[in-house]
Amino acid sequence: MNHLPDAGSRLGVRRVWRIDMALVTRAEGRMYLTPLVGFLLLFLGFPAIVNLIYSVSTVTFETLRSPVLSGFSNYVAVLNDREFWSSAWFSLRFGVLTASAECLIGLFLAIFLAPLLGKRPVLMAPLMLPLMVAPAMVGLMYRLVLHEFAGPVPYYLFEWFGDSPAFLDINNAFRTLVVVETLQWTPFAFLLFYMAYSAIPLDVREASSLDGASPFEIVRWIDLPLMKPTLVIAFFIRFIDGFRVFDNVYALTGSGAGGSTTSLSIYIYQAFFKEGAIGKAVAASVVLFVASFIVLHGLNRLAGRRKL
Amino acid sequence: MVRALRWIVFAIAVLAMNFPIVVTLITSLKSQRELSTNPGLWISQPTLDNYLEVLTHTSRFNIYAYLLNSTVAALIGTGLAIVLAFPAAYAIARSEAGKRLVLPIVINLRAVPLIIFAIPLYMMYQWLGLLDTRIGLGLILTIVNAPLALVILVNAISDVPVELDEAAKVDGASSLQVMMMIVRPVIRPALVTTFIFGFITAWNEFLFGLMLTTSRAVPMTVGASFFFAASGGGVKWGTASAVMMLGALPPALLGLVMYRQISGSMTAGAVKG
Repeated sequence: MNHLPDAGSRLGVRRVWRIDMALVTRAEGRMYLTPLVGFLLLFLGFPAIVNLIYSVSTVTFETLRSPVLSGFSNYVAVLNDREFWSSAWFSLRFGVLTASAECLIGLFLAIFLAPLLGKRPVLMAPLMLPLMVAPAMVGLMYRLVLHEFAGPVPYYLFEWFGDSPAFLDINNAFRTLVVVETLQWTPFAFLLFYMAYSAIPLDVREASSLDGASPFEIVRWIDLPLMKPTLVIAFFIRFIDGFRVFDNVYALTGSGAGGSTTSLSIYIYQAFFKEGAIGKAVAASVVLFVASFIVLHGLNRLAGRRKL
Repeated sequence: MVRALRWIVFAIAVLAMNFPIVVTLITSLKSQRELSTNPGLWISQPTLDNYLEVLTHTSRFNIYAYLLNSTVAALIGTGLAIVLAFPAAYAIARSEAGKRLVLPIVINLRAVPLIIFAIPLYMMYQWLGLLDTRIGLGLILTIVNAPLALVILVNAISDVPVELDEAAKVDGASSLQVMMMIVRPVIRPALVTTFIFGFITAWNEFLFGLMLTTSRAVPMTVGASFFFAASGGGVKWGTASAVMMLGALPPALLGLVMYRQISGSMTAGAVKG
């Protein structure tokens, strides 16, 4: 018995069958999507609606379940709050500075270390280790690293230079946090760039090298243009993560240093948990939501246009 | 010459980026007495006393409880994310459903500051009695993990040749059978990677652990910060370091063993998204 039909008829069967029924019908597809979509609606859609309602209501911890509509006073309170704007400014500066530093250092490391890593991939492991440790834990670790008596950094600075700055006081806390964030997340940018760099065919570089291009020229005119999409994406991912920073800042300084390290996330957290100002916290959440929606929308349109 | 320079840059980068971990490791191996005189980067008399104390004196700081809470919540948060994302990923990769709305929305979710939803979730948890429970924390970690799980799995399933599905279909398999008996075994490596990466992410989460737990379900990241807050000004740096090392160890070990797979999933959303 011959079970194998010849190639022609097999192709014919398949063509007919493809018209008859899709692999997964639309109804089946919807069914498979339902659990995820339902879960997201419950845990994100419902909270989003609560946010909107509470942001235009008067509500306290005592009247949590019976908010009274009160117009836009919460929004007015937030938008007139100097601390809101200073925390927004903190988040914006923090996001831009850390994302830029991480991308620059990451790009340099990716290109400069590529020959080394190509031969010994295992060297990637120690470079990626910082990404595996909780940012909150890293924040706590820096409390030790920078501690004036127990920390090695002040110890050696005193030993070598006779002086050490107060890393976490009002003048230096911001800079310290930028360095802390940059050191932990540069590996992420590095990783993206290294993969993009490795994906560039070797013969492109060889050809331009034969044409007399210097290594620097190859990087400038071949590698960088080819890596541009990755550069943009990495910058935005790191910017967004820096903008919404919470864990390591909270663990290292709280909002300490005279409130000079309050990011937007910490602002919302404190308005809710420390002040009990639910309306204000919720209104700030909605403002942040709208802001991130605008940024993401712009980014998606940018990405969409690039594909065309 | 350039080669030597590359090694030097590599060494500096590794040391600088891992500096807090190195310092914490060294400090955790110093005796209480040595710590008061030697904050430097060498150890004259290495000791495991700090680890012994953390692991045996559990009356004031029960590290086992924190480790268990983190493990259970992370397992729920990762397992459930995969259970929800896998069928959805199959539908998106193999049909027209979900491509236009669900996938883009979920991908963008990764970029939305989750604190936006934190306050209503806190109130919702209060109504549902989920505050300070491992299940409650696990459900939130599912939200944290779902976007990347979906992206990785959609990519993995799209790479499976459609002919495989078709062959099974011709033999009379339903789409559910194809999904579970053909596609699932084939993309097993991607499922494992998703699990490892999700577990690390969930273990390292801090914000929701801080907001939604107070005592019974506190995860390791939050517990470690309790340890600092409770000891006030006079932190015992030796034991504190041991706590931090033990808390950072599970994800760090997983990450070091699986770094190759993880580098793929870290970049998944970024490169294709």
